[in-house]
Amino acid sequence: MSPLNDDKDSITSSFYLTKQTSFRIAMKQRIGVYICHCGGNISDYVDVEQLSKLIANEDNVVISKDVMFACSDSTQKDMVQDINDQKLDAIVVASCTPKLHTHTFRNVAIRAGLNPYNYTQVNVREQCSWAHSDKPMDATIKAYGLIRAGINRVKYSEALENIEITAQKAVGVIGAGISGMRAAVDLARMGNHVYLIEKEANVGGRVAESGKLFMTGENGKDVIDRLYKRIKEIPEITVFTNANLDKVSGSIGDFTLEVSVKDEALKLNVGAVLVTTGFDFYQPKEGEYGYKLSDNVITLQQFNKLIETSNDKLVYNGNAIKSVAYIYCVGSRQSKGENKYCSRQCCSAAIHSSLNVHEKFSGVKAFHLYRDIRTYGKQELLYTESSRKGDIYIKYEEKEPPAVEVKNNKTVITVKDYLTYKKELSFDVDLVVLVTGMVPRSDSNDISSKLKIPTGSDRFFNEIHPKLKPVETVIKGVYIGGTCQGPKNITESVQSSLAAASKINTILRKGTLELEPIVARVNAETCLWCEKCAAVCEYDAIKPIESNGKMIAQVNTSTCVGCGICGPVCPSNSIEIVQFTDNEIESMIDGFMEKAEINTKQDSQENEISSGKQIKLNGFPKIWREIASALDDKTLTIPQLSEQLGVESNVLTWHLMTMNRYGVVEPAGLDEDEAYYMYKLKK
Amino acid sequence: MPENISNKYDAVVIGGGIAGQETALNLADMDYKVLLVEKELSIGGKMIQLSKVFPTLDCAACITTPKMSETARHPNITLMLNTDVIETVKTNGHFDITLNIRPRYVDEALCTGCQQCEWVCPKVVEDSYNSNMVGRKAISIPFSLANPKIAAIDMEQCLHCKKCEKVCVPKAIDYNMQPKRVNVEATSVIVSTGFNLFKPKNKPQYGYGKYPNVIDAMQMDRLIAPTRPYNSLLRPGDGKVPDNIAYILCTGSRDSSIENAMGCSAECSNNPICSQICCMYSIKQAQLLMGALPLADITIYYMDIRAFGKGYEEFYQQAKSMGVNFIKGKVAKVTPKEDNSGNLILRYEDVATGKLKEVKHDLVVLSVGVLPNSGIVKTFTNQKLELDDQRFIKQVDELVSPSLTSIEGVFVAGTAAGPKDIPDSILSAGSAASEAASYIKRFSN
Amino acid sequence: METQEFKPRILVFSTDKISDPGIDQAGLRKIHYSPSVYTISIPCSSGIKPRWILHAFEQGFDGVFIAADGTECSYSSKCSEHTNSIIVEAQKIMKERNINTKRIRMAAICSVCAEPFVNHISTFSKILQDLGSIKNEIAEHKAPSLS
Ligand SMILES: Cc1cc2nc3c(=O)[nH]c(=O)nc-3n(C[C@H](O)[C@H](O)[C@H](O)COP(=O)(O)OP(=O)(O)OC[C@H]3O[C@@H](n4cnc5c(N)ncnc54)[C@H](O)[C@@H]3O)c2cc1C
Ligand code: SF4
Ligand code: SF4
Ligand code: SF4
Repeated sequence: MSPLNDDKDSITSSFYLTKQTSFRIAMKQRIGVYICHCGGNISDYVDVEQLSKLIANEDNVVISKDVMFACSDSTQKDMVQDINDQKLDAIVVASCTPKLHTHTFRNVAIRAGLNPYNYTQVNVREQCSWAHSDKPMDATIKAYGLIRAGINRVKYSEALENIEITAQKAVGVIGAGISGMRAAVDLARMGNHVYLIEKEANVGGRVAESGKLFMTGENGKDVIDRLYKRIKEIPEITVFTNANLDKVSGSIGDFTLEVSVKDEALKLNVGAVLVTTGFDFYQPKEGEYGYKLSDNVITLQQFNKLIETSNDKLVYNGNAIKSVAYIYCVGSRQSKGENKYCSRQCCSAAIHSSLNVHEKFSGVKAFHLYRDIRTYGKQELLYTESSRKGDIYIKYEEKEPPAVEVKNNKTVITVKDYLTYKKELSFDVDLVVLVTGMVPRSDSNDISSKLKIPTGSDRFFNEIHPKLKPVETVIKGVYIGGTCQGPKNITESVQSSLAAASKINTILRKGTLELEPIVARVNAETCLWCEKCAAVCEYDAIKPIESNGKMIAQVNTSTCVGCGICGPVCPSNSIEIVQFTDNEIESMIDGFMEKAEINTKQDSQENEISSGKQIKLNGFPKIWREIASALDDKTLTIPQLSEQLGVESNVLTWHLMTMNRYGVVEPAGLDEDEAYYMYKLKK
Repeated sequence: MPENISNKYDAVVIGGGIAGQETALNLADMDYKVLLVEKELSIGGKMIQLSKVFPTLDCAACITTPKMSETARHPNITLMLNTDVIETVKTNGHFDITLNIRPRYVDEALCTGCQQCEWVCPKVVEDSYNSNMVGRKAISIPFSLANPKIAAIDMEQCLHCKKCEKVCVPKAIDYNMQPKRVNVEATSVIVSTGFNLFKPKNKPQYGYGKYPNVIDAMQMDRLIAPTRPYNSLLRPGDGKVPDNIAYILCTGSRDSSIENAMGCSAECSNNPICSQICCMYSIKQAQLLMGALPLADITIYYMDIRAFGKGYEEFYQQAKSMGVNFIKGKVAKVTPKEDNSGNLILRYEDVATGKLKEVKHDLVVLSVGVLPNSGIVKTFTNQKLELDDQRFIKQVDELVSPSLTSIEGVFVAGTAAGPKDIPDSILSAGSAASEAASYIKRFSN
Repeated sequence: METQEFKPRILVFSTDKISDPGIDQAGLRKIHYSPSVYTISIPCSSGIKPRWILHAFEQGFDGVFIAADGTECSYSSKCSEHTNSIIVEAQKIMKERNINTKRIRMAAICSVCAEPFVNHISTFSKILQDLGSIKNEIAEHKAPSLS
């Protein structure tokens, strides 16, 4: 202990240093310590035998052993026996990184009837013997500190049980578009009850309103009918239409959704919620490319309806349409505007519409005014097909957008074509189609505030992480799928909502949920409910509760993720994460710094090791030996070596870099002017 | 492989890339027994080779390695590495699968991954993890992030000097290890065999394989990764720090001229579709290069920039504002500069001006596309696993059930069904798991 | 190998999922760094309490290095901000106690950032060498302790 620490009476200079007063726990008295040789990986550098003798003298240590392979079956069996015979109440294993064997040794503890959290792993390989293989003496001293820290920590360790909560095997799916409908089917097939909650009178969302769909050519309405038929055959799915989500309470495993269906108020108890509320189409502003100013400017959705409903001839407002100009990226990719993002599916959608026109009506000319054609993946085939059909593609740039004007009853487009050296083109067309993008639904704020789902800078709902947790939100048990998360086509929307269905099933399948016990806890005596912790917690895990006549913070252990962000902000130091308490962390620091009485017979060992590790090049490729002798005491660049040895420079690079990798040579600085590194032999 | 493992599984997942791992984990978390079959020595797929990943620029390893260890450790997942599927037969609603585990010549149960053997081994071979830009030893751990971290011997290259055997403390090396046949029975099969990269030699006008400073994008991802093969970011031709780098987009994608040029087979045939990832990975690499070599010029030659996903357009605009040079133009030819400098001349048609231009670069990166890897279909013998026109696994109900294939009980995940980036591969894996779980459930009640 | 009379002792706070594996990589690849560096791994760098940092100085650590997750943090997108404010808070107290505020340092370390980690440590060691032992500062100024 530091001499300063005994000075109990002094005042703290800052409230951030307050010592915690409660959470006292019984220190572990009978600790077993196992130090691994790792077949030389550790013991070649760290004097594990000496350490195990020294550690045996530590307070509260009952057994201290050095073992050849701690993870081997036989050692594990010995540990179990030691725990039982010696009535050990905690164990420390000093071996490799905790990422490898934490679970192995936790299981050893469990097999011996010891709580798995009364075990501490000390990393004396990756962070000691290997990292300091150049200095075995120092590595031994460090290992001693690391092990003492581990012992100190385990003294304060607490037996913890996984948090078990009951989970309703029921899911609320908000929004019955294709994503929600499709997820409902699988959630039910996997054994959950599903409440499919739709605001409108009909299910099917935007797909139900669509005609022919890319890439399969199916009809939107048919697709929805087929899916709806399937839903009606599954008794575990209850569909509510004209239903409004009023209120959400509870947390993972046990949410209550208050829903009003027409005049009826329902309370639905669900274990998880999947939000699939979809998107809105961007509405062009009046005057945007002549929208609303000219009758001949319509959106792609309006145009698709027109294609659907016209027979034989494409007629709009009584006029036969013989030429169409599609203007792309309307409401998307606005570098100065609100919608900076690309709406992903509109390029393919527009080209697909153009192909539908060609298929249904003959002699309609198409001009596509685009910025980049983004028919990614197999959708490229649509683009190829449209080019083959003679569609004309004109590239404009955002800074010089096309102009749409009505002149002498004609709709005239003027645009600079970046495909023909910015030549200005002017032509008239019968119809202008604005290829509008996707925007978040106008009512998405309502949903996000009821469910506490954060939105991103694009205003769509935000996942936790695009790769690690793409359908999860920071609210445990609340998932997002489909276009409410961002623009997607149908396949992609379904994929994301089914991915969410998978995740939901993994948590609900058993009816009970086991969560790791590494969570925050509050000291009821000292907590003042200043709300600072609740303000930083991104998981909505902290709520006030009354206790002994005052308000204090309460942690919801089922939503807390144990990040510890709340810890440092508490002015009275009343909140902490188990396993990372002040006692544990500070006693580790003490352990590192205690003086080590280590025998320094090491000099000889050090020499032995350095010579033992010297790479002998006998038997190695001839060119290695040539490079080595050319370098000798010199530093040379690759071109210099290449010339000297008469070896092609790429072959030389390959070998030299391999030698660098295996510690034969090393870089010796960069020749800035020439932009070549110099290399020397590694001593 | 663990001998005592039962040979009945709810699902067999073929291919341990990000999609395969994600599918296996989802199913295993639902308490289904999963066998994950991988042909390489480690799971991880293409993603474990990458540097950082768009659009968040987080490091690929930070995302994959925890997934890999979760997969390897999961009590419901059995890993079978270095393994080929020989045959899959559907009988009475389940699948009988014959597998062949190739020998790695190191006992998995004993090897501690200490690499002592690797240091003493005198035989240097190509390191495929680093796209052959550097060597490794005939015995080695496949790569530093491999899981499992166990050595293997490249027997074709081994000199039988027995140096490794002498230094291996746990006596893990066994030169006489034999291949092993295993039969397993499964309720469902998930195909997540990923994709192949276009082989840039099949586009001879770009000079890959002829000029050492023309590399492909996977090589560039390795060069900028923290686990890179060289001491710094250097070009492989002569170890120079590059300062004027060109990207040629759509190499081997959106291209129907390949067959004609080469007159070759499926390996390198026409690829009329877009590979969906190369625009973005090139922009990503350009941003990373700007960070690593602040003075370097970076030019991207493109047809269209396809930055379509969440946050991608913003990522593209950011690259532009950082000073990455974007030129719309098709590159016709790459030739070496005649002065032995290792530099290259690019000839292209500049769309903005309509002129043919020639420019010098000191490193050229080919943004190669995605080709199908669907050899696995041959192993389905009594029912046909169909392919689509581009020879990806056919999605028979693409809009409503994207993971269904032509065989009931066989599902597809990730890039095996078509080009995808990582976020999309992960989602498609989740959806395959959902379909598979719903299917398996039918049999369990 | 030159021998330094003063080898600064550094406490590193790393994170379980990202920076600690990065530090492991340095060991795995035998990229050496000073053996007077000790690491404590926690879930997220935003959970480091200033009192732990102060405790380290009082116990004789010459510097504290925070190996943060930066944008890769899986808990909070505001992780860097949070960690920064912890450092600011710690530095306030350090100032009150005449501990040089340069004795604390943060950098984002990814799970394969072996070389960057080693480079950061060696730069930091140099800074600390110039500052000298913490004992001088703590002894000079009899500070009040943790209550
Ligand atoms: C240079 C480059 C950079 C990239 N950068 C990014 C990026 O920054 N961001 C991003 O989102 N995406 C990026 N990608 C795309 C990313 O690599 C893919 O999206 C992802 O790897 C696809 O995962 P997968 O699992 O489908 O396929 P793969 O990674 O190919 O995995 C397939 C697995 O199956 C195994 N396998 C194959 N056949 C068999 C068989 N017959 N039996 C058993 N096993 C088999 C393979 O060995 C492999 O392990 C990049 C791609 C490249 C080429
Ligand atoms: S540990 Fe994290 S999730 Fe838990 S209460 Fe604190 S801030 Fe919230
Ligand atoms: S085979 Fe032996 S020497 Fe090689 S890594 Fe495995 S344990 Fe080490
Ligand atoms: S993603 Fe970009 S580079 Fe790749 S094929 Fe498509 S358009 Fe070409």
